[in-house]
Amino acid sequence: MIQRFYLPLILLFLLVFQGMAMSLLPGNLAYSDYLITPHWVLVILILITIFFDHDDTYYSLLYALTFGILIDMVYTSILGVYMFSYGIVIYLVHGLKKMLHGNFIVAVLLAALGIVLTELMLFTIYSFVQVTDIPWESFLSIRLVPTIIANMIFFLLVYPLLKGRLEKWAANILSS
Amino acid sequence: MPSLFRKKRLILVLVSFILLVALIGFSLRERSELTWPEKFVHDSVGWIQTIFNQPVQLIQGTYANIQDISSTYEQNEILKSRLSQYKSIMQENQLLKKENEELRSSLDYQESLSEYDPIDASVIARSSERWFSQMIVNRGEAHGVERNMAVITGEGMIGKVQSTDKFHSTVQLLSGFGLSNRISAWVWQDDDPIHGLIQGYDEESKSLLLKEIDSDAEINEGERVVSSGKGGVFPAGLLIGEVTKVEMDQYGLTQTAYVKPAADLYDINQVMIVDRSMPTHNIDEIDEEEEE
Repeated sequence: MIQRFYLPLILLFLLVFQGMAMSLLPGNLAYSDYLITPHWVLVILILITIFFDHDDTYYSLLYALTFGILIDMVYTSILGVYMFSYGIVIYLVHGLKKMLHGNFIVAVLLAALGIVLTELMLFTIYSFVQVTDIPWESFLSIRLVPTIIANMIFFLLVYPLLKGRLEKWAANILSS
Repeated sequence: MPSLFRKKRLILVLVSFILLVALIGFSLRERSELTWPEKFVHDSVGWIQTIFNQPVQLIQGTYANIQDISSTYEQNEILKSRLSQYKSIMQENQLLKKENEELRSSLDYQESLSEYDPIDASVIARSSERWFSQMIVNRGEAHGVERNMAVITGEGMIGKVQSTDKFHSTVQLLSGFGLSNRISAWVWQDDDPIHGLIQGYDEESKSLLLKEIDSDAEINEGERVVSSGKGGVFPAGLLIGEVTKVEMDQYGLTQTAYVKPAADLYDINQVMIVDRSMPTHNIDEIDEEEEE
């Protein structure tokens, strides 16, 4: 059952690439005045929640907690923040998905909601521990909006690639 | 959604919240060393990044080479004109070095604060969370890297080592320096260097803050700031940046200078981790001996 390892491998690859992209992209693009933060792992996690998990399976939550703490360890010096934010957001998306149909519009809305909620939680927690001290208005304009746009572009790119595959894997793995 | 507020879920959320606070508290302590799971994760992720970096570096290198070739002629002209200058400077330099050594040996003062052994490293990733100015380099404890060592590029200082793993380490860039990361520094002037402490980074002007400068010291824009080598493990004479603005502090007792970092903090591929030749603990020992 090699298919079982596809999801963790994809997530690990994106986790690794998230940091490499920041050093490989030309400086004036990756480090403009806008604080664009890639949330590629989260985008994939949301897709997994919608198209892979059944109502009573929680693979996405397990991956969210695991890869959340990995991001904490590798890219920040404060543990638990990403783990908590990703965990809560994926749990919420999982709950909302039960009430909605898994189509394109719903997926876009849930992804946007997930990214917004994550960013808000990260901002709140990091403000509390004084990692950042920018005011709420500038957070909105220099970080939140650009980050949502950038990550939604990524979402639209991976959606056609992953939707069919995720459903196929779910049929193979979860029903066996 | 009445089901969302069931007791079980409430307890789950509370427990995870407590866990979050505990984890944050744990990582905010002043830790001199990372725990082994963190080191293990850092190193494993680092290896994967190194593997993926190879082909990318190759492509980037070729591209840069092609760009270089197109401007070779102009550069060659300029370099030729400078070459003769360098020769005379080199001779002068050698003479001074020799003289310096002789004077040192007569003074019984062997190692100087400005000597260092560089450890070459390449950057394999940067933090994807923009509020942490961190990057990961491919040298670690096994290569002699220690916490708090200075990290420089050819242009000047870019940061210090925040934590080390066996084969990789995390570098804190100057732009992420808070109040707890101080560098003892000099504003370089012909007659007498002016002493100050680098404390913190100002996001708005993208400059470091050089504080605790004497109120009667005269500092001009464009003057260079170098590390003084006093306190900590940094060697003396590392270029940090240039003064762009000077301000009197609130009470008129000290001045604050805004220092623009000399090195580009964004496009970094190769760095040097600087290991001061003079061991740091010697200073403490001497102090203790004197106290006795």
